[in-house]
Amino acid sequence: MSRKELAEAVGVNPQTIGYLERGDYAPSVELALKIAAVFSAPVEALFSLEPFPPLARTLTKQGDS
Amino acid sequence: MIALYALYPIGCVLQLIADETATGAALRIAGLSLVVAAFAAFAVLAGSSLQRQTQEPETVLDERELADRNRAAYQAHSVFAGIVLLSLIYLMLRQDLSDNRNLDLWTPATGDHWNAIFWGAVMLAMTLPAAFLAFRKFHPDEDIEQ
Repeated sequence: MSRKELAEAVGVNPQTIGYLERGDYAPSVELALKIAAVFSAPVEALFSLEPFPPLARTLTKQGDS
Repeated sequence: MIALYALYPIGCVLQLIADETATGAALRIAGLSLVVAAFAAFAVLAGSSLQRQTQEPETVLDERELADRNRAAYQAHSVFAGIVLLSLIYLMLRQDLSDNRNLDLWTPATGDHWNAIFWGAVMLAMTLPAAFLAFRKFHPDEDIEQ
């Protein structure tokens, strides 16, 4: 899904999606829930107060367990 | 942005200090050129997306753009109010010290002086919010098709 498609789906400017990806802007609860609904994912899977660990580390942990 | 805020006052000062000699005429032309360049920069900024963001109705902007605009408007208001206050303090000091012959502070006296101050204030008031938006906007050329 492109930034433009996601932006249209949640009703924001495509640049705002870029700001969210880079962590330059913290979305409102409403926007976070809308984005989570687009991906059918829980909101905490997409947004966190702490930085997400690198994907490689997450996959390594899953492989170990 | 820098052209707008630096060239205009420099151009006005050059015209202010120009006398009736040949050097003065050159200074006047140089000053006028800088003022024209500043107005050209003003025209470019007035047509920019940043300037539109400061004037669009709220229904057109998303929550990030609104937050950015509100922050920029607050910062612009603070800076403009500070400049006005400093100017008033200067004029007040000038008035209080007007009897002191050793300290002859300049004050606007002619129509040209007030004209320069007025148009400078107009440009500043109209463009400061867009200037603060520009300072915050780190990724203006982002590819939105990604």
